[in-house]
Amino acid sequence: MAFESVNSKVVRAQISQQGAVLARRGAMLGYDGNVSFRPLAHAPGAGMITGESNKMMASEGSGSVLYGYRGLYVTVIVLTGDSLSVEADRILAHDASLQTSVEMIAQGGVRSAVRGAMTGQGLFTTRISGHGSVAVLSHGGTFPLQLSGQTVGVDPQAYVGHSGALQVDLKSSVGMRHLVGRGSGEAFQLHVSGHGTVYVQASEEKF
Amino acid sequence: MISGIDATVYDAQSLPSNDNVNAYAFSIDLDGEWFTSKGAMIAYYGAIELSGLSAYASHAAWVAARFSSPLYAQEWVVASGRGKLVIGDRGNDINSYDLDNGNLTIKQTNLLAFETALELKQSIIPGFVTLIGTGKFLASSNGPVIFVEPPFRADPDALLGWADCPSPSIHYDYHWMSQSLSAGVHAMFGRESGEERQYDFTGAGTVLLQSSEVTRHDPALARIVEQHTHLLTAAAAGVLGHKLIARSQE
Repeated sequence: MAFESVNSKVVRAQISQQGAVLARRGAMLGYDGNVSFRPLAHAPGAGMITGESNKMMASEGSGSVLYGYRGLYVTVIVLTGDSLSVEADRILAHDASLQTSVEMIAQGGVRSAVRGAMTGQGLFTTRISGHGSVAVLSHGGTFPLQLSGQTVGVDPQAYVGHSGALQVDLKSSVGMRHLVGRGSGEAFQLHVSGHGTVYVQASEEKF
Repeated sequence: MISGIDATVYDAQSLPSNDNVNAYAFSIDLDGEWFTSKGAMIAYYGAIELSGLSAYASHAAWVAARFSSPLYAQEWVVASGRGKLVIGDRGNDINSYDLDNGNLTIKQTNLLAFETALELKQSIIPGFVTLIGTGKFLASSNGPVIFVEPPFRADPDALLGWADCPSPSIHYDYHWMSQSLSAGVHAMFGRESGEERQYDFTGAGTVLLQSSEVTRHDPALARIVEQHTHLLTAAAAGVLGHKLIARSQE
C-alpha cells in the first residue's frame, strides 16, 4: 500500500496484518486503529562499524499511522522491483516487505573514501529494494533528476539518493586557486551518469 | 526606492486585515484589545501599546475575568490601541481559528494571541489551556496543521489541541505494556520505541496535530510540577525533596 502525502512534511501509511511498516523511532505523530510500536533490535556491533544503524521501530497491527520528523520535508518514493540507495539517516519509514542492506559506496579505493567524507555519509549507504514505498527526509524538499545516458553534477551536500543503474563519482577541481582561497566554493562535485533517477534536495544543509 | 525585489511591499493600509501575510506571519487589524503572548509581536503600525497583563489588569477589571490562569499570567501581554499588529513565531506556520460559542483546548506554548471576547482557562491536562466563547485566536505549529477525527491516538509532542471532544486519556503501547507487566520493571533500557505513551481521543470532535514532534520549552513547567506537590503530605514532600536534591547532584 503506497504511502499517502498528508502535506509536504507528513505521510500516512496503512498498516495491516499483512503489511507492517518500519519507521524511525519517535517519528509517529498519531494513528487510528490498533497499532503497536515495537523497537527493532539489530545485530550487536553491526551498526558501530558501518554507521548505518538508525534506530528503527516496527508499526504492527491494523490502522493508519502518521509519520513526520523534526519538520523536515518528506518525499515518497515507490519502488517496483528496483532499488534505491539512500543514507540511513534519511529514511523516515518504509514498507516492512522491502529488503534493506548496507553496502559500500562504489567498489573501494581512495576515491570512494574521499567521496564518503565529502558527502558526510561515510563509506556506507543503505540499499532498499523490492516492491513498496519509502519515505525519505530532506531539508527543503527533493526533486528527481532523470538520467538516460547523460551526466549530471550534484553538490555532495545536496545529494539525497539514487535509483537505477547509475555510476556515482566524486570529481574534485582542487587547484592552486582553491589553495589560496579564491575557489568557487564548489571544489567537489558528484558526477552521476547512466540510466536512472538521482534525488537532490533544495538545500545544502545537512541534518 | 528598492528595485529588483519580486515581492509585495506593504504599508499600513495594504497589510492584510485579520489575515495571514504569508504562512508564517499574521496581521491583526487592532481596534481595542487583544491578548498576545510575550514576544509574538514582530511589527506594528499605528498607536499600539503592549503592556504586561498585571499592569493592565490594575485599571481593567475585565482582564481577571477573561484570563483565568495565574500560571501563565507572566507570559502574556495586552495589546491595545488602533493599527496593524503583525504576529510571528520563529518561522513556525501560523493559523487563525474562529470559535463560535465553542471551546478548544490548545498547547499553551503554541497559542500566540486571542480576542478578548474569548475566555482562557487552564486545562486539566498540564501545559494546555482551553479557550471558551466566540472569537478569533492565533496558534503556531511546526509545519502545517493536520485535522483528524476521533477515535485517534496522538503523540503527546505532536498534539496541538482538540475541540468539542472529551479530554484525552493516556494509552500505553500494548507491546511495551505487556513486557513491562511481565518484567515488573518500568525502565527498560533499549526496549523503547519512543512511542510508548499516547493521548487517546474518543467521542465526537476534532483533534489538531502539527507536522512534527518538535516542541517548545514551557516556561511554566516547573510551576506546574510545584503546584501538584501541594497534594503531598509534609513527610512525602520531604522524601521527594531528598530525591530531587540527589538528582541535581548527580
